[in-house]
Amino acid sequence: MSGNLPHRPPVLRKPVVRTRRGLGGALPALIIVSLFFVVPVVALLLRSVTEPTPGLQNYAILFGDGTYARVFFNTFLVASIVTAVTVMVAFPVAWTLAIMPPALGSIVFGIIILSMWTNLLTRTYAWMVLLQRTGVINRTLMDIGLISEPLPLINNLTGVTIGMVYIMLPFMILPLVGTLRAIDPMTLRAAALCGASPLDAFRRILLPLSLPGIAAGGLMVFVMSLGYFVTPTLLGGTSNMMLAGMIAQMIQSLLNWGLGSAAAFILLVVTMALYALQLRLVGTQRVTGGV
Amino acid sequence: MLLDYDRLGWLRGALLAFTGLVAAFLLLPVVFIVLLSFGSSRWLAFPPPGWTLKWYEELFAEPAWLEAALTSARIATMATVLAVVIGLMASFALVRGKFRGRDAVRGLLLTPMVLPVVVFAIAIYAFFLRIGLGGTTAGFVIAHTVLALPFAIIPISAALEGFDKSIEDAAIVCGASPFEAKLRVTLPSIKIGIFSAAIFAFLASWDEVVVAIFMASPTLQTLPVKIWGSLRQDLSPVIAAASSLLVLLTLSLMIVTALIRRKLST
Repeated sequence: MSGNLPHRPPVLRKPVVRTRRGLGGALPALIIVSLFFVVPVVALLLRSVTEPTPGLQNYAILFGDGTYARVFFNTFLVASIVTAVTVMVAFPVAWTLAIMPPALGSIVFGIIILSMWTNLLTRTYAWMVLLQRTGVINRTLMDIGLISEPLPLINNLTGVTIGMVYIMLPFMILPLVGTLRAIDPMTLRAAALCGASPLDAFRRILLPLSLPGIAAGGLMVFVMSLGYFVTPTLLGGTSNMMLAGMIAQMIQSLLNWGLGSAAAFILLVVTMALYALQLRLVGTQRVTGGV
Repeated sequence: MLLDYDRLGWLRGALLAFTGLVAAFLLLPVVFIVLLSFGSSRWLAFPPPGWTLKWYEELFAEPAWLEAALTSARIATMATVLAVVIGLMASFALVRGKFRGRDAVRGLLLTPMVLPVVVFAIAIYAFFLRIGLGGTTAGFVIAHTVLALPFAIIPISAALEGFDKSIEDAAIVCGASPFEAKLRVTLPSIKIGIFSAAIFAFLASWDEVVVAIFMASPTLQTLPVKIWGSLRQDLSPVIAAASSLLVLLTLSLMIVTALIRRKLST
């Protein structure tokens, strides 16, 4: 294109302040996201107040019925447990990765990426086989005599927690490594010189300094867990159904679009509120967790 | 002290041991599934009574598997190209633009990554049914492009932010057109960001289950939909064989990524 144009002397840009300068490039993205994301989602949410008849009856049903209250409670319970376990497991790993020799660390990073990039259904399938009644874990525990009856590890809270923590760990570990690497080791040396015990240094320096990273990562894991569909559906039981699974069931099996979209709206509002909170904590750049 | 690897004392051993355990936990399902795919027990007994290749034979004997894989590859490739091109243009606007509401635009474009997929899945499913794109390749590509876009924008914007714009301006002062300067100076400098964007966008589509479950038709199934369908019937070892091939794909992708990154950064 430029080859056809005659060479012009370079024109130095004048510092004109216009409020739309440079917006053009974002237009294709804006159009596709508006047309195929915003419009469908808004249309869906409209169905929640128009089907079967106009009004708020769908929300009245969702908030009035004990069955749905249980699903909401269970969703928050699972997301909270998964977040707590993920944070506690991820912190020591991130700490180690932040300071360990790079050669050794790159092996661990490789394993984390391999696990993260492996097909989601593959990983979930593996846990289904590992955790089932006759699975390797129960068999091994029985062989070494720790238990006499197979433990119920699948189709319940235990199964969902193991499967979800497995998926969420990389999203917590990777950004936390960044947070911990940004802490100056001198501050901890100074604490030690001033007589702080390792426990004090941990409690009063290392932990508070890494708290922003823990909060941001934890919030991300919590938000992702709230709306997760695949793993809870495959590893959880009917008695601990989560919101996303319930929405899919309302649409797919019950064809109840009104109720399904009302539940989807509730999930959307909660997720977006937490996302906004996270943006205030870290800004858009860091939301993806180090990818 | 706590951040000095050589002066941690006993704590170092504890941290290393714990990290080793977590690494083993992360590796366990991946290794397990590969071993299982060669085991001869239909009931997935482990350790297997013998070794066999028959699950791979069954996998390749059923054309639906290969067909689903090809469908996935086709959709993911198209969605990747679209997401990277559109994302590249958007990144220039988001990083360099001076328009009002820039942060709002960025927030909007990244929202598909945050909104629970199930909400988007039923929304786009209903929408496509109405406009006649339900169960079509075009529908899949559009939906996956929307989902992949944030994964393209984030690494490209990050790379663009790290690039000194005065180098591009220098090219323009030396007589290049703005387009030429972008093409020959800026793009080569942010190629690692573009490459990461392509990998993430591809994985976002290739691995996408939820939208695909709703959108799939009997004649158009992606690989995750095929796996999902089989999983809901039984835990057949054929799934283990298919999964092992996916692990192999992931490993090759990681190796290629590492090689290309090394090459691009020199």
